[in-house]
Amino acid sequence: MRFNEKKFFELALANKFEAADVSFSHSKSTSCSIFHREVDSLTVSDSYSLTARGIYNGKFGTVAVSKIDKDTPQFLVDSIIRSASLVETNNPSIIYKGSEKYHKKNVFNKEVISSDINEKIELLKKIEDKIRAYDKRISEVATVGYDESFDESSLSNSYGLKLKSKMASYAFYAEVAAKEGDEVKTGFKVFVSLDPKEFDMDKFAEEVAKDAINKLGGTQCKSKKYPTVLKPNCVSALLRAYLSNLDAEEVQKQSSLFIGKLHQPVASKKLTVIENNLEKNVFYSYYDDEGVAMNKKFLIKKGNLETYIYTLETAAKDGVEPTGNGVVGAKVKAGLGCIYVKPGKKSFNEMISPIKEGVYITELEGLHAGMNAKSGNFSLQAQGFMIRDGKLAEPLSLITVAGNLVEVFNSIKEIANDVSLEMSQTSSPSILIKKLAISGK
Amino acid sequence: MLSKKQAIEVLNAALKTGGDYAEIFIQETHSSSYSIENGKVEAVTDTVGLGAGIRILKELQSVYGYTNDVSKNGLLALANSLSASYSGKQTLFIDNLKVKKVKNIHPHLRPHAEVDPKEIIAYLKKGEEAMRISPKIVRTKSGLSHYNQYNTLINSKGFIFKDEKERGRAVLMCVAIDGEKIETGHNAPGASAGFEFFEQNVDIVKLGKETATSALTMLEAKECPSGKMPVVIGNGFGGVIFHEACGHGLEASAVSKNLSVFAGKLGTQVASKLVTAYDDGTIVNAWGSNNIDDEGNKTQKTVLIENGILKSYLIDDFNGRRMGMKGNGACRRESYKFEPTSRMSNTFIANGTSTPEEIIKATKLGLYAKSLNGGSVNPATGEFNFGCSEAYIIRDGKICEPVRGASLIGSGAEILKHIDMVGNDLERAQGMCGASSGSIPTDVGQPTIRVDEILVGGNGGELK
Repeated sequence: MRFNEKKFFELALANKFEAADVSFSHSKSTSCSIFHREVDSLTVSDSYSLTARGIYNGKFGTVAVSKIDKDTPQFLVDSIIRSASLVETNNPSIIYKGSEKYHKKNVFNKEVISSDINEKIELLKKIEDKIRAYDKRISEVATVGYDESFDESSLSNSYGLKLKSKMASYAFYAEVAAKEGDEVKTGFKVFVSLDPKEFDMDKFAEEVAKDAINKLGGTQCKSKKYPTVLKPNCVSALLRAYLSNLDAEEVQKQSSLFIGKLHQPVASKKLTVIENNLEKNVFYSYYDDEGVAMNKKFLIKKGNLETYIYTLETAAKDGVEPTGNGVVGAKVKAGLGCIYVKPGKKSFNEMISPIKEGVYITELEGLHAGMNAKSGNFSLQAQGFMIRDGKLAEPLSLITVAGNLVEVFNSIKEIANDVSLEMSQTSSPSILIKKLAISGK
Repeated sequence: MLSKKQAIEVLNAALKTGGDYAEIFIQETHSSSYSIENGKVEAVTDTVGLGAGIRILKELQSVYGYTNDVSKNGLLALANSLSASYSGKQTLFIDNLKVKKVKNIHPHLRPHAEVDPKEIIAYLKKGEEAMRISPKIVRTKSGLSHYNQYNTLINSKGFIFKDEKERGRAVLMCVAIDGEKIETGHNAPGASAGFEFFEQNVDIVKLGKETATSALTMLEAKECPSGKMPVVIGNGFGGVIFHEACGHGLEASAVSKNLSVFAGKLGTQVASKLVTAYDDGTIVNAWGSNNIDDEGNKTQKTVLIENGILKSYLIDDFNGRRMGMKGNGACRRESYKFEPTSRMSNTFIANGTSTPEEIIKATKLGLYAKSLNGGSVNPATGEFNFGCSEAYIIRDGKICEPVRGASLIGSGAEILKHIDMVGNDLERAQGMCGASSGSIPTDVGQPTIRVDEILVGGNGGELK
């Protein structure tokens, strides 16, 4: 059933809405996974959802549906009136007339979704064989899977703004177990891309196998503070938690670590972080959920905080321009997009060579429980390797790393030049922290 | 809505290439959420969802699909595209369907949707206001979300199940600041019931005060010491440790593929003799309860561990095929967008005989993890981690100074053997559990327990 947008806007204006908007998203996906060379799961989907908002008597009302029929426009209007009538806060309610310039690029590649799923299943079998053949300590390939999806979305409002985007992407993932004696370790890897030619099966199989095998023989180090090197994925986990404090709403409501820190140092001078959603990758996006254009911008420049991230509402409160970070849910929040940490000059090996005794952290677990981004305190399960006399030594497992985000980012000793090419929302090299508390035995 | 005749047509289309089981799951959800901040209603949002999923099994294979087009044509198209994944001839033919009545064992006396929103708002404001007990509390929020779900499950065993459920959950959150230090307090009670649950069972003012007190206490806390030490884990949400460290490893999705440390261990000692644990989806009105599971099996009270001996896994029919075992009412999913699989419902360690006071008194030097804020586990290795939201050091049998930033890590199989005291103050608490079939409501629970040694992570040096 097609949604009658025109009718919704007509009804909204007839009911004295100041303005209204509708965002629509539609996804189609196919995914499959194999276990012991047999397809054990295959999923196809075709789904949509629609969120409508309106300003009624100066207040926002919001409603979301995935049930669309001829009565939907009226239902949305009634529901917005109901919800707006209950709102008591006097926050600025704004529906956006549009940015001057949008950086729209075509990232849609139809080759991704026109592929034959049976070919992919054969490929998954080959990947499983390669993983098993890589090392005899690979005891199980828990899953090898493939996922492709087509997503299209649009945002339109009663001012006549209409923004559209579409994308097709695919992912391969695998989870394996390696065993030696009674010890079991697991490895996991995901590869995501917009371009079918980018997937390298041999490299993927090798990396997932290694991820498990390298953890075997892990011991616990002595509990104390060590110079600590963080792998890019671990930098990402800590940095994204730290930067969640950039949300201007949290600053305005006195619950951010960055209160009063605009244009002040919040990290070591070595750290520069840029936000940019305009690269052609799976995270590409040129407008936010409120319709504000996205732009490349500095978040942290040589340790100084360059900007908070804003929604239309929080930007109006601070008297600044919105930053293209709006995420519409029950309420609009500011969310962090793709971030890039500026690499340093030294290679990974050069960076670790002066470390007599240190720890290299390759994985952090338990972020949803052991990380308090508001206080900055964290205490997380970790895995990694000892660094002895400037070289990687024995693997470490079941250790914890604890600290405070403010301290960590102010005590960066070195940033390497080994930017990971893996697709993730954070692009970063490895980083050496002067000292972090590691607990083991 | 799909007629019986149309459902038969869709099921036969699903089975036409040799599938040995097919099901159609249609779900309509109506939900609303309220949020209050600093004394004022900030947002009220309604959501209406409608969609359907079709699953076809053939021996150890499964194909699943979902769509928002729940018309006969939409479902036929989905069934045809899914059955094209198998090649074979139809062996199972559906010619009739029988409606199987689902008894609602979780009554909702005052459905949230029928309560005047002003009444809900007044209740939430009381809780929000109760948190403002100190100028250090700079931000207070409360909220409530509730939903009604109307599920229709039609399967090739010839049955139509119609099930209706209602859930509601409130949340209280505050931020406390002292100079550069920031701490938060959080509580979120919920039930499979109407608004009467909150009126009768949740003293929102008392809970608000507790939430704020916990944040203020943590402001005073020193960094938690680290290293191996005895840990007393508080009742209620402390049970998340059993949920993560053991519960996930008992799910058939991991056991059937030999990907759990508990695979092949039925009948053997996996925990201290003091430990008896259950998964019980039948507890009246509990957050994690259901009338039937997502394969139409009745929910059950399952003994998982009895006096330390592993008695049972949590099994769905599909994974049960690989194990040669029958489903025990544990098949669940978040919504029609997820293929269902074996999951927990209300999982808890049963009462022991010690009082909580006796447990503290018997501990010379260690950590009292009064409340935890969640954790995660790798079922294949059993390695888990938990964060403590409120913790204290125990010295000479007394609860002493608060500590912040504590995490507990270890291996599930090990920790269960190291439980050396079990209290008599069982409580359950509500959580959302995320896994392959989505995020579902579950209760965790336990009495106060002591583990003789856990690795505690923190930034405060050695425990002295």
